[in-house]
Amino acid sequence: MEIGVKLYGEFKKYAPKDDDRISLDNGGTVAQALRSLGLNDRDLSYAMVLVNNIRVKFDRHLQDGDRMDIFQPIGGGAEKLYRYVGKPVPRIDARDKVTGRTKYSTDLSFPGMLWAKVKRSEYPHANILKLDVEKARKLPGVEAVLTADDIPGHNGFGIITPNWPVLCRDRVMYMGDAIALVAAVDEETAERACELIEVEYEELPVVTSPEEAMREDAPQLHEKGNIMHTMELRKGDVEKGLEEADVITEGEYSTQFMDHAFIEPPGGVGIYDEEEGILTIWCGSQYAFRDQLQIARAMNWDPRKIRVIGSPTGGAFGGKDEITVQIHLALLAYHTKKPVKLWWTREETLIVNSKRHPMKTKFKIGATKDGRFTAIDVDVTADTGPHDTIGAPILNLALESSPGPYQYPHSHFKGRSVYTNNAIGGEFRGFGAPQVVWGVEQEIAKLAGKLGIDPIEIRKRNALKLGDISSLGHTMQTSVGVTETLEAAENSDLWRNREKIIRELNKKHPGKLHGVGMASEWHAVGLGVGIPDFANIDLEIHPDGKIVLKTGAIEIGQGNITAYAQMLAEALEIDMERIEVAHGDTFKTPDSGSVTASRSVLVNGNAIIDGADKIKKRAILEAATILVEDPNNLVYEEGAVRSKSDAEKIVSIENIAEVCCRRNKPLQDVGANIMAISDKDFGDGLPHNYYTFITQVALVGVDLKTGQVDVLRAVSAPEMGKAINIHGVEGQCEGGVVMGQGYALYEDLKMEKGQVLTSNFTTYIIPTAVDAPDIETIIVEVPEKTGPYGAKGVGEAPTVPITPAIMNAVNNAAGIRINDLPITPEKVINALKAEKR
Amino acid sequence: MKTVNIEFTLNGAKTKVTVPANMTLVHLLRKELGLTGTKIGCDKGECGACAVLINGKSMNSCLVLAAQVDGKEVTTIEGLENEGKLHPIQEAFIEEGAIQCGYCTPGMVISAKFLLDRNPDPTDDEIKTGISGNLCRCTGYTKIVNAVRAAAQKLKNAGGGGETR
Repeated sequence: MEIGVKLYGEFKKYAPKDDDRISLDNGGTVAQALRSLGLNDRDLSYAMVLVNNIRVKFDRHLQDGDRMDIFQPIGGGAEKLYRYVGKPVPRIDARDKVTGRTKYSTDLSFPGMLWAKVKRSEYPHANILKLDVEKARKLPGVEAVLTADDIPGHNGFGIITPNWPVLCRDRVMYMGDAIALVAAVDEETAERACELIEVEYEELPVVTSPEEAMREDAPQLHEKGNIMHTMELRKGDVEKGLEEADVITEGEYSTQFMDHAFIEPPGGVGIYDEEEGILTIWCGSQYAFRDQLQIARAMNWDPRKIRVIGSPTGGAFGGKDEITVQIHLALLAYHTKKPVKLWWTREETLIVNSKRHPMKTKFKIGATKDGRFTAIDVDVTADTGPHDTIGAPILNLALESSPGPYQYPHSHFKGRSVYTNNAIGGEFRGFGAPQVVWGVEQEIAKLAGKLGIDPIEIRKRNALKLGDISSLGHTMQTSVGVTETLEAAENSDLWRNREKIIRELNKKHPGKLHGVGMASEWHAVGLGVGIPDFANIDLEIHPDGKIVLKTGAIEIGQGNITAYAQMLAEALEIDMERIEVAHGDTFKTPDSGSVTASRSVLVNGNAIIDGADKIKKRAILEAATILVEDPNNLVYEEGAVRSKSDAEKIVSIENIAEVCCRRNKPLQDVGANIMAISDKDFGDGLPHNYYTFITQVALVGVDLKTGQVDVLRAVSAPEMGKAINIHGVEGQCEGGVVMGQGYALYEDLKMEKGQVLTSNFTTYIIPTAVDAPDIETIIVEVPEKTGPYGAKGVGEAPTVPITPAIMNAVNNAAGIRINDLPITPEKVINALKAEKR
Repeated sequence: MKTVNIEFTLNGAKTKVTVPANMTLVHLLRKELGLTGTKIGCDKGECGACAVLINGKSMNSCLVLAAQVDGKEVTTIEGLENEGKLHPIQEAFIEEGAIQCGYCTPGMVISAKFLLDRNPDPTDDEIKTGISGNLCRCTGYTKIVNAVRAAAQKLKNAGGGGETR
């Protein structure tokens, strides 16, 4: 049959040559027609199609002589065509990184530099009876040995509660606790000196789990007891909601300690400039300005005398938001008056640094026969280790994330975060969400199975929409793309053709069963109600044409610096090559908040647009005097100001900048933004106002003999408002999928009586290129009007639902469910045996 | 500490140094010679961040004693650029968006070069195996595999464009 086609906008490139018709097999669908034109999955996830002037879905069957109009993506009207935003612009830091020129903090060295080592605890819980450092001090080459006595200020750090000791005085509470610091002429001498430090301990009972910690007779780890934090939220009447349900599903889940496994171990260099009285610390970081304050608190110093340079950082994922080496470097540099380098080994990193909290969760969800959720009841217990750091907000976000992006009339969420002598539970990409989404997305899969409803369909029936009251009780005020991400996943090749794909794989690999599973998530963007959530930027227009953007945000690999340059180039309508970005330096850049909570494009982007608007306004006023023209008759366009009526009257911003410099009033300004907040305040930073939405699909193979699970293909369909950099969003999704795969299958920081059993990459296994699946990213855009160019954020969500999607795929393949992560071959084999019985 | 005099070719230049007998190559490169493009992620042969080419073969420089490269040719990431022009593998990493934090990148590029030197037309599975000794936590490897595939194409085009070899 013959179908008439007309393509619009960017889709014009798919138009058939010299023809406005295509041939299609009889009974073909709109989707088939689009594919025969060459539209790819991403195009399909956006495209709008009219058949004979009526908007249709893609499964609509066409008839001979039909006429299709195919439109490019439209979000709230025709989308502006951007020059940089939404393009796969190469990263501005790529050339230096690929040539090895980039200097990370651990690459720095200075003449006369000393090497530092940290003496750490030998027991997970013990009193320190005696500490003798004399032998270490006497070792030739040793320049300083410091203990708790040498800390001038508060002996503790922590983003929320500073009770993580800089150096322990009386008691150690986990294997990573620091007792003394050594600085020596070289690494080996510093290590030997550490061995010469004599510590006499009195061992104390070790609290190895939250259950143990909550027993009445448990040793109390802190004065306030063993419960660090509790949180409870409710909406409606959960009992009534469960009564109204036709089907109820319940389950209990648990998750393991996970390490960030960034490839650059924490480290850096400290220098004390005696003449100026300035301490400079280079370190891997996510927030130099908070590091500066935490150093100042421990040193009892004026923070303005402390310079922290945290950019660039070789991966962080939440694991470098808290203090690592900063305070130790400050103490040693100040005491020795020499440059000092401290760089954790991999083993130290695995033992000392904070981890993703293990959580035990309980879910109860009710639904009606037609698949409408009536209620959700969630209970969460987190193992937070012995020191607080940022454990409390992580529990809170776990509760907020636990219902998923769905509508429930009644809900109840309760959680507690508990002290133990295990590793420290801390910030990690996902911030409490991976632990709960692991459970809820399996429960929803179970409900769909019980009700005989397709797993994507049941989620669509309950999907939150803009303006809805959420399961927590706040209004969904910003863009909500739950349905859109579900539809994008539904339209992906992997989901549409899953039965055929599974059949073929099962045939090709006897002894293996294959399956496809999916899961969804909403992920909060920003810090939440009541927590200062701001960004500042500085903008300078130089007479030589250079444009300098200064932001305190740190480049940890996520690509924010490039995204900022794209947005600024777009706002000022100039070539991106002109932009230089200074970042992450407390003396050279303004405070832009932490790079955390998927926030830095949203809040910094708005600050950049604010700064660019001010520059443009000022440029018009200055141009008015230069061009001798009424400012109301001037307009800013493409990096210049011109008269609306006289084409001769035009002046570029660099020329305006030159005049401004001569008048000693340089063309520069500040930009600022405070993140908009929710209409409700549940306390403790809840709830949030912006969310990333994402649906992920996994194809797995389960080896029936060995129990090994392989992930063969994955699809991510994130909705982040607007993608500023296509490569950046895809990169976050690809990296997120593989990290979530590691969480699902391999990674497990094993603890036994407070000891870490997996303190290297031979025992703590992260995925390699061979393990990683083929990944397709389908970018879904539902632009948010209060976001820069419609953007929200995307850093964390792509690592979250993939983990339960893998389990749902294993269930699809082999009919088994495993509730405690990770899905090891042993557990699979045992579950398969149980299933047979 | 006993020291050893060694002479080797480093990125094309004759290099003579005296090193402690127990110093590994990565520490010679980074601490003594200032070549910090070669990274340390584990210092025990697990992550591949310190990969360099020794006589054309990719090795973890944390597992090689500096004394062992006496008389050999060592190429680090700093040696791939030719008079300011990037190696096609480096170009491909930039164009394909294969870099995030960048800390694994030098080792990845070295492993990719070793692979493409032996196998100019690798399958995707061969690429994945070729870089499986290099851990990356940011990218999920997808764009790195794309970059190595694109680099193979670039090298083929350059080789086939009039020059015969």
